[in-house]
Amino acid sequence: MSRIVFRQSKFFWIGALLLLIPLIILMSITIGSVDIPPEKAISKLVNLGEPDTTSIIINSIRLPRVIAALAGGAALGISGAILQVFFRNPIADPYVIGVSSGSALFIALAIFMGTSLGIGNPFSPYTLYIAGFIGALLVSIFMIFASGIVRSITTLLIIGIAISYLASAITSILQVISDIERLHVFIFWIMGSFSGVKWLFVNFLLISIIIGIVSSMFLAKPLNAFMLSENYAQSMGINIRIIKIGAIALTSFLTSIVTVVAGPVGFIGLVSPHISRHISDTSDNRFILPTSAIVGAIITASADLAARTLLMPRDLPITAITALFGAPLVIALLLRGGGS
Amino acid sequence: MLNTSHLGVGYRNRIVINDACLEVKPGELVGVVGPNASGKSTLLKTLAKLLKPLSGTVYIDGKSLAELSARDVAKKIGIVLTERVQSGLLTSFEIVAMGRYQYTDMLARLTPHDRQVIMDALRSTGASSLAERRFSELSDGEKQRIMIARALAQEPSILILDEPTTHLDAKGRIEIMMLLRKLSRMKKIAIIASTHDVELAIRLCDKLVVCSSGKIKVYDVPEQLVEEGGVEELYGFNNGLSFCKDTLAAEPVINDDEDFRIFVIAGGGSGVIIYRLLNRLGYAFTTGVLHEGDIDFIVAKSIGGRVISERPFKEISDDSYTEALRELQKSDLLIYASPPIAKINQRNFELLTAAKELGLPIIQYIRESNIGNYAMGIHFVDSISLLANMLVEYCKGLSKDKDKDILVAKTE
Repeated sequence: MSRIVFRQSKFFWIGALLLLIPLIILMSITIGSVDIPPEKAISKLVNLGEPDTTSIIINSIRLPRVIAALAGGAALGISGAILQVFFRNPIADPYVIGVSSGSALFIALAIFMGTSLGIGNPFSPYTLYIAGFIGALLVSIFMIFASGIVRSITTLLIIGIAISYLASAITSILQVISDIERLHVFIFWIMGSFSGVKWLFVNFLLISIIIGIVSSMFLAKPLNAFMLSENYAQSMGINIRIIKIGAIALTSFLTSIVTVVAGPVGFIGLVSPHISRHISDTSDNRFILPTSAIVGAIITASADLAARTLLMPRDLPITAITALFGAPLVIALLLRGGGS
Repeated sequence: MLNTSHLGVGYRNRIVINDACLEVKPGELVGVVGPNASGKSTLLKTLAKLLKPLSGTVYIDGKSLAELSARDVAKKIGIVLTERVQSGLLTSFEIVAMGRYQYTDMLARLTPHDRQVIMDALRSTGASSLAERRFSELSDGEKQRIMIARALAQEPSILILDEPTTHLDAKGRIEIMMLLRKLSRMKKIAIIASTHDVELAIRLCDKLVVCSSGKIKVYDVPEQLVEEGGVEELYGFNNGLSFCKDTLAAEPVINDDEDFRIFVIAGGGSGVIIYRLLNRLGYAFTTGVLHEGDIDFIVAKSIGGRVISERPFKEISDDSYTEALRELQKSDLLIYASPPIAKINQRNFELLTAAKELGLPIIQYIRESNIGNYAMGIHFVDSISLLANMLVEYCKGLSKDKDKDILVAKTE
């Protein structure tokens, strides 16, 4: 009997969290340097017929930004949840597999060496997106390849960290030899922000995150078995190789896309799974994966709203906000729960 | 149902066990024993298809294990490993439910039938009451029951367990082994479990597989291992440790203090506790006259005491009596264990009288259960702790005197 109540409460939390999402969207499109009353904002959203300044602010600036933040946060949350189970490490986050360092390296290459390499305008966002994506893709491919041949998951974790160091080393050398103007562009990117995101990328993000969430549900069951151990998982008839490759491929795909659009957004992937486990009171990944996606989306969108409104008109780096508010919250949760 | 032919197991180039031939039938509990690093785990992991055999084949119901799909293997073989499980916030029920992996849909939704199998598995391991508890909060013994239930939920015909008793206390070890025995019979499944607990395996398993020096030897009757002296050989028991075949106990032999000679008159089980006390305190001793096969005889021998003995059910002969008397004359102390005296050991009482005439210090120990035969002993104790204190005091005094003698001898 008590089991049924238990299960219902888990679903209750997922539902309650989902209801927060429209609220955050509404807040994000109304609050800003120009405040738009909610009823006007809604009418502009529904009725796109008569474009004016308000609808441009909403449809070209605020709406794509909040949706990008939601989708990006969901991608990071779900990736973090998968990787924490996969690496059996509660402090794993999507960046341990080296994807963001790969992106950073290639974006640095584009910004600092772009002109000499002849890649057109190194400051164009398109150039940076493409460069970042190539970097993330190369690291991902390498990690997928490594996950196919390395037996131990811990070894894989170390390889990911080593790649991060390698890429960061080259990036830091590039930074030192570059000029101030280029350095500024790079630093702006590396601090992470959803500002100025274009609909093209938002759509791309949205499609990716939908694919990601759906395919992650295929991973929930084997990941539960992985919690016991790799050997136990194997004894239950799970093809370890396929799951390893699948988990790395999915998380690096999701992380790459977010990183390219918004820079490395820290902390979301780390905390969303922890918060999810706390509120749903289980480690069952069938709940934790979707809940982490929702929690990631909510935190990221809220942090983005805070990032652009706290010191208006300045845009703060989103990682600063997530860490500033998220870290104390997580510490409090963990201390109160005796650590999960 | 499970058999192997000329199986070689190990890692990459390192063969751990070669040419293993083994057959396990339904309803059998098979114990795998052997010293550390003898390949017990490697053998079990190979049987469970977690490792590939280096040579030879494992057959399940006549089919080669290599040819079975991972899915089929999961339905045939359930395992319990020594690895630490990271269960997070999962309940015991959720852990056991994972055993249904191959039976449930992509989202691992449980049908009423699945739930019933899970509850059955929990019940048969005596863990129903733990179902809703968080796995991480259970004791080691409870966790082991849950992990066994999880393996059972796979509805396997073979259960393979690597060291299932390792982290448990004495009671827990026996309980888990008894549970395995019960499960093998109740569910008609073959259970193969490695263990360090040879004494327990001999007592409970239907078959023993002994791994040592790269080979396995199968004992269809575990007692055969004892009779062959295989246990001593297996663990390389030599100085400092002996294995008693009759009590199936490993006995530490630590009574090497020969400074003074202690003689114990015992018999009929009255001496066992005194021998153990002397052994623990480190005092060498002589005891007699004991009849062969008497528990006193068995224990005194196994902990390395000098034993003057007589053939079973024969009256103490002149030879044995004289030998005992000779020893008694060389002794510094006599402990009289108040054995039951009858015709065949009457001369032990004569020994006591002789000791009194010799003026030997005598301590008589009388257990509560052992009334009668109050001799006119000099010291007279009825608790083992008193006896222990007295012995320590007395022997301290003795060695001091001896030191003095040595000093005197030196100065002269």
